[in-house]
Amino acid sequence: MTQTDHPATARTPRRRGRWNATDLGLIAVFAALVAASALIAAIPVGGLGVPITLQTLAVMLTGLALGPGRAFAAVGLYLLLGFAGLPIFSGGRSGLGVLAGPSAGYIIGFLLAATAVGWLTVVVLARTANRKGRLRAILLFAAAMVSSIVFIHGLGILGMMVNAKLDFSKAFLADLVFYPGDIIKNILAVSIALALHKAFPDLLLRRVRTVDTRP
Amino acid sequence: MSGHGFLLATYAPGSSLIHRTPLWLKFLLVVGCGMASFLVADWAVSAVVLALLCGLFLLSGAGPARLLRAVRPVLPVLLAIGLFQWWQLGAPTAARIVLNVLVCVVAASILTATTPVQALLDGVASLARPFRRFGADPERFALTIAIMLRSIPFVVGAYMDVRDSARARGLERNPRALVLPVFISTVAFARQTGEALAARGLGEPEDPED
Repeated sequence: MTQTDHPATARTPRRRGRWNATDLGLIAVFAALVAASALIAAIPVGGLGVPITLQTLAVMLTGLALGPGRAFAAVGLYLLLGFAGLPIFSGGRSGLGVLAGPSAGYIIGFLLAATAVGWLTVVVLARTANRKGRLRAILLFAAAMVSSIVFIHGLGILGMMVNAKLDFSKAFLADLVFYPGDIIKNILAVSIALALHKAFPDLLLRRVRTVDTRP
Repeated sequence: MSGHGFLLATYAPGSSLIHRTPLWLKFLLVVGCGMASFLVADWAVSAVVLALLCGLFLLSGAGPARLLRAVRPVLPVLLAIGLFQWWQLGAPTAARIVLNVLVCVVAASILTATTPVQALLDGVASLARPFRRFGADPERFALTIAIMLRSIPFVVGAYMDVRDSARARGLERNPRALVLPVFISTVAFARQTGEALAARGLGEPEDPED
């Protein structure tokens, strides 16, 4: 698929960070991607065939691919339409009722984690512009892990404490189940994000002005 | 999954009193139930409110099957929490926790069962209007919502296609082969959409002069 870059989209200094049509397209389609990933069945991983759900993968990739501002808008749009009543939360749930459920914290955590990992991605990509790819991959994985532990797991535990009235240690134990899947998903997310930035060099990198200096 | 059919599943057409209640009033009901769930201390009160809301739901003519479908996704986890808290905190507290969550879920599904999807989306789009003076653009917001809805079937279709081709190559256990092509085609689709919008003069920010 050939990408012809429109001259209007290459204009970098934008007043007040207004988004152009390509940014709107990316925000809308990544919001749809998060929604579709919640609706699709889990995929099997490795020889054991442990299924992993794709939603957190899509959320983290939104941040890794789009950077903080557009990732916030994309995941925020997804949440807003879910709260408005479209059945796009996992398991076909919808509406403000999910905010009363025990998984409310995870759903709010998505928004903050995508934004945080997007911000860290911009920092990492700018700092590792002339370094080896391996260092970049490790730092991005660290960024994704920190964001998901602080926001998705942190708020997830808080949500279970508030809505299911579990105390901290029990909520912490209940949340622990998600760690192995999350590590796999973050490794996968970083490898996909690096491939995406290679396939579409101006997706995020033109914003941090890096040069590909491979020999 | 084709078209937007799956998005319409929760709406029950009708002309009952609840259908004719303005959207903001139903929204206040949902928010009120959410707030009340933090204040109500007696499980009997929660049970009465839940019964009232279920009555209201059935009064709208949406039918018990739809009510069951709205509640079913939360039932397994509520059962687990209910049993666990019964053991930990006793029956009254466990009942209050479970009933309060059910109250919120039923209240929210009254809203979605009696409001057409288009009205809900118009309601969301109108949220941007008060922020216009801070640079929000309600038209671009509504446009983005429309593109997102149109794109969900595309992404679901992409997942299906990629899964089929991975299976054909014997890669159905390789998560990278199952997911990476979906993301590549999604980004390409997003940029084509953006270019199509730009070509039509849609979605570009307005100049600050006008």
